[in-house]
Amino acid sequence: MRVLMFTWEFPPLIAGGLGMACYGMVKALLKLGVEVDLVLPTKELIYMPLRKVEDVDLLPTVFLDPIKQHEFKSKVFETREEKFEFIGISGIPETYAQLSLSDNDHSKRLREYWDSEIRDIDEKKLWQAMSDNLVGEEDIIRKVQIFTERAKRFASELKFDIIHAHDWLTYPAGMIARRISGKPMVAHIHATEFDRAGGPGDERVHKIEHAGMTYADRVIAVSQYTAQMIMSRYQIDSGKICIVHNAFTIPEDAVLHKERIFTGPVILFLGRITLQKGPEYFLEMAKRVLDKHPDARFIMAGTGDMGRQMLRDSAAKRLKNKFLFTGFLNRKEVERIIRASDIYVLPSISEPFGISPLEAMAYGITSIISKQSGVSEVVHNAFKIDYWDVDLWVETISHLIENPEKCAKLGYDGMKEVHLIQWDDAAETIKKVYEEKCSPVKAKTKKGED
Amino acid sequence: MLSIIFYFQVHQPYRLTHYNVLDIGKDTELFDEQLNREVMQKVAQKCYLPTNKLLLDLIKRFDGKFKVAFSITGTAIEQFKAYSPETLESFQALVETGHVELMGETYFHSLTSLYDSNEFLDQIAMHRELMQNEFGYYTTTFRNTELIYQDRISDLVYEYEGFKTMVTEGVDRILKWRSPLYAYKNYNKRINLLLKYYKLSDDIAFRFSNREWPEYPLTVDKFVSWVDKLTLSEKQERNQFLNLFMDYETFGEHQWAESGIFDFLEKLPEAILKHDHLGFIHPKDAAKLSNYQQEAISFPEPVSWADEQRDTTAWLGNDMQLNAQETLAEILYKVKAKGDEQLLRTLRIMTTSDHFYYMCTKYFQDGDVHKYFSPYDSPDQAYIYYINALAGLEERLLR
Repeated sequence: MRVLMFTWEFPPLIAGGLGMACYGMVKALLKLGVEVDLVLPTKELIYMPLRKVEDVDLLPTVFLDPIKQHEFKSKVFETREEKFEFIGISGIPETYAQLSLSDNDHSKRLREYWDSEIRDIDEKKLWQAMSDNLVGEEDIIRKVQIFTERAKRFASELKFDIIHAHDWLTYPAGMIARRISGKPMVAHIHATEFDRAGGPGDERVHKIEHAGMTYADRVIAVSQYTAQMIMSRYQIDSGKICIVHNAFTIPEDAVLHKERIFTGPVILFLGRITLQKGPEYFLEMAKRVLDKHPDARFIMAGTGDMGRQMLRDSAAKRLKNKFLFTGFLNRKEVERIIRASDIYVLPSISEPFGISPLEAMAYGITSIISKQSGVSEVVHNAFKIDYWDVDLWVETISHLIENPEKCAKLGYDGMKEVHLIQWDDAAETIKKVYEEKCSPVKAKTKKGED
Repeated sequence: MLSIIFYFQVHQPYRLTHYNVLDIGKDTELFDEQLNREVMQKVAQKCYLPTNKLLLDLIKRFDGKFKVAFSITGTAIEQFKAYSPETLESFQALVETGHVELMGETYFHSLTSLYDSNEFLDQIAMHRELMQNEFGYYTTTFRNTELIYQDRISDLVYEYEGFKTMVTEGVDRILKWRSPLYAYKNYNKRINLLLKYYKLSDDIAFRFSNREWPEYPLTVDKFVSWVDKLTLSEKQERNQFLNLFMDYETFGEHQWAESGIFDFLEKLPEAILKHDHLGFIHPKDAAKLSNYQQEAISFPEPVSWADEQRDTTAWLGNDMQLNAQETLAEILYKVKAKGDEQLLRTLRIMTTSDHFYYMCTKYFQDGDVHKYFSPYDSPDQAYIYYINALAGLEERLLR
C-alpha cells in the first residue's frame, strides 16, 4: 500500500507540533510496511518516496522534472544538511516557490476546472467554496495556491492507493489529487481555525476546512474533543470520522533524570506563546501562587506573538525574578528545561491534542492539563482542569508544592503511563482506515447489515 | 566676569552577558568580559588617551588658567586597570598638574539615591576612598549619577558626607525665570548648587557634528561669541558661571575626530582667555567667587540631565525597569543581611544605571540615543538577561 501524503511540516522543515506528529506517524507507518510519497511546501518541485524506516530521516528526494532529477542525481552531497539545503527544506519555507501567480488567475483556473469537469451539483459546490476562499494577498494563501497547483502533477504522475492530507493548508491539494486520480482521500485534522484563533478566526479558512473534510472519504481527528468540534461546527458526518490520538516516542538519546536549576519548585509552560495556549492564565496563576509560595519559579519557555506582552505584563505584575522567559529553545534545551521542572502546565483555551504534556510526562514531570484538550483524553495520571478555572489551577499547583512526595509519585506514574502511548498503535489504526478503502457508504451499509 | 566650568563624566559599565535561564546554577560568567574589554580599549584609543593628552598640553600651555573637572566612576577605574592601564596613568598625570578637580559620585554609577539611602552613602564613601587611593584627591564637589538631584538627596550628601557643592541639570521647569548662570544654594541653604547650562553644553555634546543643525559647523569664534553675549544681561557685575557638563566620551567617541571636535577643544581656551572678563574655574571655587547672596532653589521631585523631560524615567520609567529595580533592592538587602562580600560586590555592579537604561522603551526621538548606547537588540532582551542574572544570583545566595 502506498500513500500520497501532503503536509506542511516535517522535520527538518519546521518541527512544530504538526511536523513532529507527522514524523512519528510516518515512521510507524513505514514499520508496518506502508509506503509514503511525501509532498512538502518545498522550493523545488519534489517529493520524497519513503520506503524504509530510515527514510524518515534520510528523506530520499525525487524531482518531477526529469532534467532536474538527472542533475540532482549526479550531485554529491557531503552531508544530509547540505542536501536539505539544496532542496530547500533546511528551515522555515520562506523561500518557497516563486510567487508569480496572481490569486485571481488561480481562482479562475480552479473555477474553469470544476465548471468543465464536474457534473455533480454537491461536488461543484464544494469546489466553488474551496476555490472562492483560496484567495488573498497573504503570503501563506499564495503559498497554498502554489502547493495546490502542484498537486495536479503529483496526482497524475505518481502511483498511489490513497491520499492523506494534514490540516487545511493541504486540503485543496488533497481535493485536486482525489479528483484527478479517483483515489480515496483522508483528511487529517490536527487543529481547526477555531483552535488556532481562540475565537472565530478567518472565514476563508473555515470554508476550506469544511470543503476538505466534506470532500474527503475519511476524516481523522486527533481527539474526541476535535471530533466533537468538527461535528458541531463543520457538520461533518460522524460516520466518516475516526479518532486517532497522537503519541509521543521519547528520543533514544534522552536523559531522563532530574537536574535542578532552582532550589524552589519550578512550574513550566512550554509551547508557543500565543492566545490558544492560554499564556495569560499561566501568568495569572503565577501571580497568585507566588503570593503564597514566594520560593516557586515560573518559567515560560518558547516564543510567540504574545511573548512581548507576557514579558511586559509579568513586569507590571511585579513578579520579580520569579517569572522567567527562556526565548527559543532547541530540542536539547527543551529537554534540559523539562528536567529542571517539577510541574508542567498546559492551560490551553482550545487544544485539539497537545503533544508537549506527553513529552513532559515522559520525563516524569507532574502535569496539569486543560480540560479543553485532546491529550486529556489519553492520560490518567495528570490533573485536568478547565482552562478558565484559575482558582482550581492555583489550588492544585499549591497542593503539589505543599506535597512534594505526592507530586513525585504522580509524576512517576505518569511517566510509566506515557511510555506506553506509542505511535505504533496509532499507525495500526491509520493503516486500518486506509485498508477500509475509505468508502464511508460501504462501511455504513455494512454496519447496517450487522 | 563669567567663568566656564567644564565638567566631564567618565564612565564605563560592566555589560552583562546574554544570560539565559539555562545558565542559572552553572558557573557562567555574568559579565561579558570580552565586550567590556573591547569597548574600553576602543574608547581609550578614540577618546580617553588623545583627549587626556590634549588637555594636559592645554593646561601646561595656559599655565593653569585652563581648568577642567572630572567625575570618574569606580567601574571605569577598575576597567582602566584591567584593560587599559595607560588610560589611568594619563588621568593621574592630569590630576598631578593641580588644575584638575575630581568630583565625588557613587562608585558604581548607580541609581541608589532613588531607592536605598544606605547603599547610596556606602557607594559614595567607596568612591571617595578610591579617589584618595588612585589620585590622592579628596573630593568636595558631588555629582550624582546622570545629574539626578532632589532636595532630599542634597541632605544625604551634605549631612553624611559633608560635600560643599553639588551639580545638577538647569531644569527649566524648576528655574522658571531664573538663570542657570548663577551659583545657587540647595533648598535649606546648606550646600552650593551649580546648574548645567544645557543649551551650550548640548551644542558641543550632541549637535556638534549634526549637519541638519542650522548652526553647523560650530566654530570656536561662533561659540565664544555666544558665551560673550551671555555676559551682556548682567548689569550689576555679579559673577556668572557657565556650567558646561557633558560625557567625556563626547570627544572622539560620540563626536568623531573627523568632526573637528579635537580642533575645537584645542582652540577654545585661547579664544576664551583673550577676553579679560572670561575664564575657567573648578566647581569647588564657584561659591568663593559668588559676590552675591546665593538664592535657595528647591527640587521637590527628582530631576536628571536625560531626555526632553529631564526626569528619571529613562532608567526607572516602565514596568520592566521598576520590576528589575525592586528585585535588585530586595536581593541587595538579603545579601547584606547574610554578609556575603563577594555576592555583594556583584550585586553592586548590577546597580549601575546603564543596565536600566538599556531597558528604556521611550523609542521616539530620545530612544535613538538609548539604542545607540545599548549592547542589546531590544529593551525586552536587556530586561530578560538582567532579570535572569538576578535569578541566578539569588540561587547563589540560597546555596
